[in-house]
Amino acid sequence: MQPIIEMRSVSFSYGGDGERALDDVSLSIESGAFVGVIGPSGAGKSTLAAVLSGAIPHHFRGQLFGETIVDGTDTCEMTLTDISRIVGSVNQDIDAQMVASVVEDEILFGLENFGVDHRRIEKSITAALDAVGIADLRDREIATLSGGQKQKVAIAAILALAPRVLVLDEPTAALDPVSSRMVFDVLRDLNRNEGITVIVIEQKVALLSEYCDRLVVMNRGGVALTGTPHEVFAHGPELREIGVDSPRVARISNSLARRGLCPAEPPCLHVDEARLLIENLLARVGNRTRMRAADAPAGSPHIPARSGKQGPEPVVSMRGVNFAYPGGDASVNNLELSVYPGELVALIGQNGAGKTTATKLVNGLLKPASGTVRVAGLDTRQVPVSQIARHVSTLFQNPDRQLCKNTVLEEVAFGLELGGVAPQDARARARTVIARYGLDEAAAPFSLSRGQRQMVALASVVVLEPQVVVLDEPTSGLDYRECMTVMETVREMAERGCAVIMVCHDMEVVSDFAERLVVMADGCILDAGPTAEVFADEGLLRRARVRPPQVIELSELLAEEVSPAFNGISEVSGVVDTVMALMGQDGTSDPDGETESAPQANREAAPRDPKEADRA
Amino acid sequence: MLNVIDYVPGDTVLHRLNPVTKLILAAAIIAAIVLADGYAALIALIALTLILGIYAGSGSRLLSLLKVLVPIAALMLVLQLAFVRHGETVALFVTTDGLVSGTKACLRLLGVALPLVLMLTVTKTTDLANACVEKLHLPYKYAFTFTTALRFVPIFTQEMNAIMEAQTARGVEFDTKNPFRKMSLMLPVCIPLLVTSVGKTDATALAAEQRGFYLRTRASSFKRYPMRAIDVAALAVSVALVAFGIVL
Repeated sequence: MQPIIEMRSVSFSYGGDGERALDDVSLSIESGAFVGVIGPSGAGKSTLAAVLSGAIPHHFRGQLFGETIVDGTDTCEMTLTDISRIVGSVNQDIDAQMVASVVEDEILFGLENFGVDHRRIEKSITAALDAVGIADLRDREIATLSGGQKQKVAIAAILALAPRVLVLDEPTAALDPVSSRMVFDVLRDLNRNEGITVIVIEQKVALLSEYCDRLVVMNRGGVALTGTPHEVFAHGPELREIGVDSPRVARISNSLARRGLCPAEPPCLHVDEARLLIENLLARVGNRTRMRAADAPAGSPHIPARSGKQGPEPVVSMRGVNFAYPGGDASVNNLELSVYPGELVALIGQNGAGKTTATKLVNGLLKPASGTVRVAGLDTRQVPVSQIARHVSTLFQNPDRQLCKNTVLEEVAFGLELGGVAPQDARARARTVIARYGLDEAAAPFSLSRGQRQMVALASVVVLEPQVVVLDEPTSGLDYRECMTVMETVREMAERGCAVIMVCHDMEVVSDFAERLVVMADGCILDAGPTAEVFADEGLLRRARVRPPQVIELSELLAEEVSPAFNGISEVSGVVDTVMALMGQDGTSDPDGETESAPQANREAAPRDPKEADRA
Repeated sequence: MLNVIDYVPGDTVLHRLNPVTKLILAAAIIAAIVLADGYAALIALIALTLILGIYAGSGSRLLSLLKVLVPIAALMLVLQLAFVRHGETVALFVTTDGLVSGTKACLRLLGVALPLVLMLTVTKTTDLANACVEKLHLPYKYAFTFTTALRFVPIFTQEMNAIMEAQTARGVEFDTKNPFRKMSLMLPVCIPLLVTSVGKTDATALAAEQRGFYLRTRASSFKRYPMRAIDVAALAVSVALVAFGIVL
């Protein structure tokens, strides 16, 4: 088929002679394709999106080489306006993308500008709203919408212009898993029903592998791999080197393939594929399965067990806590929660379940309306936040709100100085931490990349050696490697006795790192318990509208239909070992480490981790 | 989060007026207040604004605005009292002339701020911009700048609050009781806000251009804003108000 966009040896560098953000990229996008672009941060994904949508060369300045042909014309020879008649783009920052305050006006804007016949406008608006399923939001103020709804409005506004290509830059970065899937469902419908070519930049591999028919893996400004999801995820080790995660079930099948148990390609991308594969494998060994099932360990032996977390005194305790915002739109009711030193607790639930409110009650930003919150022996209602901050550190989702100094050194030392540490000492301690994360102490925080800024924010939390750490979506917007570095650091802090409370949408991260889960819905805590138990409780997850991570979904299916030995396994290596054990083979040898659980996969990125060395 | 200038939906006469007429009406009230010199006239004009506000359902907005304005007005009164040295001394440094000019300045301050806010609460900003482009031949560039600026106010307020929260959680004493200390703490926080806002503005410019901003002409707007009989009536009222201000 005729490519609708073709890039021929395109290179681009922002500014004069700087490093090339894109380096000799040739790529052709077939009309009607659903293309996913993935890669570590700094790989040039957003730059690629800007080139495809014509923002380069028309909006961003820099040096451009090569040519980009959109529907037969070089983008350098068209105006940005003309390009955008063919390529509609949805940017990362939804708030900045909006031009009006009411949904209807937002959609009208483009239609009016492009001079669409006024008799057809009404039809276009209705069609665009219906296509993304938000007809009921037509008269709403955009400021009152949720993140997922805003994202759909942004898509509808572009859609009304009937573009032939949609380019979306991380449309789900700020959304919870349920809304993320809804956005992808909308994109798939548009792709299938309207024949619109979709190019989406995304970090969530599970979504990409499910929805896209072609993946482009970017690394250091170039295209590292391209092909169908099955083709791309067959290259597990290469992807890991680049810093791209693979779906967990792909890791399982790749690892089984490496042991010669199944063909190397294609890897499994969905839970169902993996279930079929393992079922077939085990069916071959027949009766032995049942015999050996009894020997297999109950539950996973792979969840790191740590001692001493049930100390005598909880460091955080919430008793009958109620809180409501003045507007009355969100509230939390009767929260009961104890967190002990050294514990890593995750709050899970949908957007609006009250998770962030709960964390703000812990760090004192919000005071309970009734009930008590005691943190490190202080009643949050009687002590100002700045006092509580000496015991509780918070890492926010957006590091830009935390950073305010001119150099990394000042930034990291700032918290210590606020806590009353002498400037000399504070700087010395800050330097140690900065060196550990390989940051440049003289750099200006705002000139660093998104991932690096998050590391600076993290360093300024670590340096305080707090008793409690509160993390609000610590990994959103980070690539796989950065995400693992952040989470490894958090776990080290927990091992040193710091209590960690985190809010996180990424269930893979939660199942890899959290020991205990607190499930929230509609402002209440539904239940709390060890990670494996909570993930095994289907009814509970359904009430909280949370999808369990792939490996757990898989092991539950397998436990039900194949062998109870799979019960409660939450890690890739656990599934592989159990399959090996059930097949009567030695499951401990691992040719090349494909089964490593996520945290271990990242040894280079987390510079110091003695415990990992022990385990490996 | 509700903003003082957010649109209050409704179907009153005020809502139905042409946005340009509303603008003229507000301007007329302001002109009358500037021109009028008697207490009765000033108070009557403010009362008129408040009554219109209550009628249009934005009374609570005006009241919350008054809460902010009254302290400022009081400060102005004190300054006037301190600086006006004519007339007879009433007590301490207060003179009769000072009292008269001070109280009038206060009333004018209130009277100038209220009509504009009232007008914004009964008009969608997009309608205002489009009507100004159509009727007043205002270049769309300026109208867009104006609506975008208004739209960014709540976004930046949210951003500022989030930044202050993040800084408070780090231990910056934003919860201090001392307002001067708070001000000095807020200065460094403006850096992250500035960085974010520059980024956002650029993204908005790009997004608008990608949706045909430069193709827009005076005829582009889908909605039309004709002048109707009630608009003519309202304009007549506006003229009367200005005349009222000049006479009294």
